[in-house]
Order: sequence, then C-alpha cells, then structure tokens
Amino acid sequence: MSQVVEAGAAGHGAEPRGKRTESGEATYLIAIAEALWEEMERDERVFLLGEDIGAYGGAFKVTEGFIERFGPERVMDTPIAEETIVGTAMGAAMEGFRPVAEFQYADFMTSGFDEIVTALARYHYRTGVPLPVVLRGPSGGGVRASSFHSINPEPWFAHAPGLKVICPAFPGDAKGLLKSAIRDDNPCVFLEHKWIYRRVKELLPEDPDFLVPIGAADVKREGTDVSIVTYGAMVHRALEAAGELADRGVSAEVVDLRTIQPLDTATVLRSVEKTSRALVLSESHRFLGVGAEVAAMIAEAGFEHLDAPVTRLAPPNVPVPFSPTLEDAFLPQVADIVGAVDRLGSW
Amino acid sequence: MARTVSEHAEQQGEGPVGAELSLERLKELLYKLKLCRYFDERMEALYRQGRLPGAIYSGRGQEGTHCGVAFALRPDDSLFCTHRDLSAQLTKGLELNRVMAQFWGRIDGYTRGRDGNSHIGDWRGARTFTVISHLPIAYPVACGAALAYMRRGEPRVAMAICGDGATSNGRWHEALNMSAIHDLPVVWVVNNNQWAYSTPNWLEISVPTIAERAAAYGIPGVRVDGANVLEVYSAAREAVERAGAGGGPTLIESVSLRWRGHAGHDPAKYVPREMLDEHVTNKDPVKRFEDLLRDRGVVDHVEIDALNQRIATEFEAGYEFAQHSPFPVPEEVTKGLFTDDGYWAGEPSREGGTEA
Repeated sequence: MSQVVEAGAAGHGAEPRGKRTESGEATYLIAIAEALWEEMERDERVFLLGEDIGAYGGAFKVTEGFIERFGPERVMDTPIAEETIVGTAMGAAMEGFRPVAEFQYADFMTSGFDEIVTALARYHYRTGVPLPVVLRGPSGGGVRASSFHSINPEPWFAHAPGLKVICPAFPGDAKGLLKSAIRDDNPCVFLEHKWIYRRVKELLPEDPDFLVPIGAADVKREGTDVSIVTYGAMVHRALEAAGELADRGVSAEVVDLRTIQPLDTATVLRSVEKTSRALVLSESHRFLGVGAEVAAMIAEAGFEHLDAPVTRLAPPNVPVPFSPTLEDAFLPQVADIVGAVDRLGSW
Repeated sequence: MARTVSEHAEQQGEGPVGAELSLERLKELLYKLKLCRYFDERMEALYRQGRLPGAIYSGRGQEGTHCGVAFALRPDDSLFCTHRDLSAQLTKGLELNRVMAQFWGRIDGYTRGRDGNSHIGDWRGARTFTVISHLPIAYPVACGAALAYMRRGEPRVAMAICGDGATSNGRWHEALNMSAIHDLPVVWVVNNNQWAYSTPNWLEISVPTIAERAAAYGIPGVRVDGANVLEVYSAAREAVERAGAGGGPTLIESVSLRWRGHAGHDPAKYVPREMLDEHVTNKDPVKRFEDLLRDRGVVDHVEIDALNQRIATEFEAGYEFAQHSPFPVPEEVTKGLFTDDGYWAGEPSREGGTEA
C-alpha cells in the first residue's frame, strides 16, 4: 500500500505496463496511464490535449513517454486556456474524435467551468449530438497542497445535468472506468485522487478490453453491522477504520460508489437493508455535498430498513487548509469514522 | 494592420455586379436577405401581439453581415452562431418550418422543445451549432471542429460569429490565439452592430477597430461594411478559401447597426435617433442589394413581386406547420440527457402533449 513509484508512469516511449512491479502490480497512476495508452492504440480517434502533457509528460507524469509513441498531434500541448481546452475537445468530439483533456489539477476545471457545465453538459439533451469527451484531473486533499490544489469538485459537476462523474479508489477500477469513459459517447469528468496516485497498487487484469461499468458501485468489504458508503480516498480510510472496528467485534461493510453520476442507488440500498445502519462518508463538503444526496436517498428509499438515523461524515464548509493540523482537522480521519460508527451502534 | 475592403466591391469582379456570383446565386442571395428581413419583422409583430412565446433577438439591419458570411460557406463547412444570428443559420440552410416549430416549443423544432427561439441549430443537416446564450462560448468549440478538419486533411472550415460585445470576453482572445498557433481553418466573424445590449463600442473596445486586434495574433484582420452584402461575401469567401487551403484563420469585422433592442422587450432608447435614422435610411443592406440587382437588370419588378409572394407564403406555411406540430410529451422530460436511453436516435412520441 505504501510503495512509492517516483518515476513517471510510462518511461520514454515505453508502454506503461512496463512500469508495473515484478509481481505485475500497478499503481493507480500507472493504471490510468495504461488505460490512456491502450485506448489510444485501440482507437485512432482518441487523442490527448492539455497543459504540459507532451515532452514534460504532465504535471504528475501520467503521460510521460506518450508523445514519443503517439506524436504531438495526438498528445497536444495547449496554451494555459482551460475554456478553450474544453471547447476544443467539444468541437473535435462533434466532428468524430474522442478527445481526453487533462487538467493539471481538478481545481483548474473551474477555469473552464462555463464550457463544461453550460456548453458540454447541456448539449446532448438539447440536440442529440453525441459528445465523447473525457475531462480528467487530480482531485482531493491529504497531500498538504492547500486550497488551490486539493479540491473535490465532484458535487459541482454531478449537479450539472449531462455529465457522468467518476471517482475511482483503486487502480483496477481506475483503469476499467477510464477505458469505459473513453468509449462512452457522453461527456465524463474523471477525477483521479492524487493521494492514491502512488500509494495504492494492485494486480490488474491482462485483458485490454477489461472494463468497469460506469454507474456501478462495489462492495469493497462485506459486513453486517453498519454500511460505510463512500468513494475516492475515503474508501481507504473506511477500510482502515473497518479493520479497527473488526478488532472490536463490529462488522462494517464498505460500499465504494466509484461513480457519483449516475449514482448506483440499488447497491447502496441493498447494503443498508442488510446492516440497518448507514454512515455516509465523503471528502466533498458536508453542506450540499455528495454525502447529502446519498443520505437523503437512503432516508427516503431505505427508511424501513434503518435502526438509526443516517449519519454523514464530511469536511466542514471551509476551503481546504494548508497547515497539517488544520488539514487533518478538515478531512475525516479513521478515528472520526470509528467514532461515528460507535454512535450509530448506540441506537 | 486591418485593411478596408474597397467600397467599390460592387463594381469589381465578373458578372453584372461582381463578386463572381452567377445570376442564380445573386437571386438566391436576394431571396435569403429578403426572407430573413421578412421573418424578423413578422416574428416581432407576432411577439408584440402576444402570439409568440419566449423571447426574440432581432438581427434586423445586420442581414448584410449574416447572409453575406454564411453565403460564403459550403454545405460541409460548419457555422457557430449567437442568438442574434438566425439570418446566418437560415442562409446556411435551416428549414423554416422547423425553425417556427422551435419558436413555439413544438416537437418538430430542432431541439424537440428543449430550447426555444434562436437558441437553435442543426448539426446533422445544415451543420450549424445549437446556440448557447453565454458568449462567445462557441468560439472555442469552433477551434475543435476546425482541428478535426485539419487533422483529417479535409478542406472544410469552421466559421464562428459573435457580436462586438463578446469580443471583451477572455474566450474570444483564447480562441483566436489557439487558432493562430495551429493555423486552424477558422473564419472568425464579428458582427459589430455597435451596441452590446446598451453599451456602445467606445465603452467596450480600447482600439479604433476590432479588426486590428488580429495583429495581436498574427492573422489577417479585415473590416467590411455590413450594409454591403457583396463586400461582406467577398471577404468571407476569401477567408474561407484561405482557411480551407491551409492558410489559417482570418478575423472579419463587419460593421452595421442593431436596428432593434437587445431583445424584444428593449426599446433601445439609448441609441441616438440620428444614428438609427442614418442606418435605416442609407445603410439598409436588404434594400441596397435589391436596388443594385434592379439597377443592373438582374431582376425586375415582376420577379421581385413573385419573390415577395413566395416568402410570405413560406412564412405562412411555416407558421401553420408550427401551430399543428405537437407539444413534447411531458413524460419524456428526462429522456435524452445521455445517449444511453436512445431517445435522440429514435423518433419522439407525438401523442399526449398538451398545451400549457
């Protein structure tokens, strides 16, 4: 879980798969690079655009080595002009390409916000024109990157009808979901949690057509006493908390949403029906965050199964702070999760 | 530096009036100009009578720009407009019946009732972008379409139109910059009607002309007289040919006046009376072109009468088509957000829509 791969994903001109460990494991970052590489090899309509993704290989080196293999036309460095990056992707998609735009940080998606939520998101509902566009970028906190390099923008985009919003927590899910997003005919916002990039590695299926469906949650740990419904980096916190709880005889089930829009309500409700208690854990803000929607959905559709009020655990409604003491207070910690489960169990 | 196309374009080129247009094409252009003027006037009348729902954004007085630039495009070229530019979309090939159905929120409108008035487009047919209010939101999108043509080695071009007001927005500059860096086959058109809602040119632009801003991006900038449709057409034609041949983008500023308010509710009292009178009296692009074709013997009064009758008949037919087109079915309100449900791949339900 803690091995750090310091080099870029791909190496110069090499397939990203070459960056797996000897036992065949890939980090989340390399899994994402593999998805991009394989889809570009599979479909010549797929191309990348973004800032510093060419010779430099991207802010996090996801596309390192890509320009040597695919050339500058398919690995297109752009000016620092996010509205135009999104608009260019949209126009190319209207004319039959399948662009994947990289944002150096998901925070900078706000610099392209109007083209994303007003143009790209609403266009198909009004016209029926397919828009196979993927917008991907690193989101999330916990890496001491402060207010402008740590946000979780998924509620903004999930609130713009017409966008699919994907937040994977594991390398395999990241690879399978990104490949699904690239093959999808609708605009997808693909949020890569930067805390996970080099911290989590996994064995990946060898099948180049291995896909994870968009809109399907996944139970990452089975349990019977409480459902922890979460996504992104918080999945890893929840699993750690579930381990501690197990030591004390509490059986926690961890449901990884994987996709925020469309939301897999059936899997969540099935879990709550089994456990009768729900903790909704998210890294997006508590106020009107993803957790608010999930909690409301459980309360409305799963009331008869509940033995305790649905509980939310999420950051307070302030910007992501820098100082370690402040960021740790901001983000839900394992102890917070254990405490919240204890309170749920007291009903 | 920006240059001014000769004011004597009418005397240039081949044929009876120049611009290398055949007699048929000249008559077709006159038809487009007169159709757009008639449509604009009649729709405003229906709006004022309370018979037209929603909003109207008159393009009257700017038909020389709209019809002139769109007339220079080929069927495969794409056009990215604003709500002001319906005349350009009609020139590019939108069907009057479906345009009217759109205005009345009917299922036969281009957006199946999901949008209204001139927030319209027909990507599969006329190759026009469906208009979005935020301006110039389509400028960056035109870059993407043009990039696709260039990558595939096609001679097609993308043309985008916005008003003088939208040139103050960052995206306008971003898009011109992007197009210039990659020599994208784009024609950038600015319909300078001198007023951004109520804000005049002198409070929005720090240089004498919009066309000279092209120098900042190293691309040609041309300023033309929007009252002279042949001058506009010639500039657009040259820009389309250059772009299609790999010569990169051109900026065309076409100057006219917005004769009506920003939208139907706006009496535009902020426009000086003498400014409006000067344009309506001496710079009417439709009247000027009709007079020119009469003077040169391209059309006579019999043909003009027949043309007027044809346009009135088409408008009435479009109006009737719209009134008889069903409203969308309420149960389909959530359909077609994504491609997944196949709503747009099939025909919509035509039964069960009720008038609000």
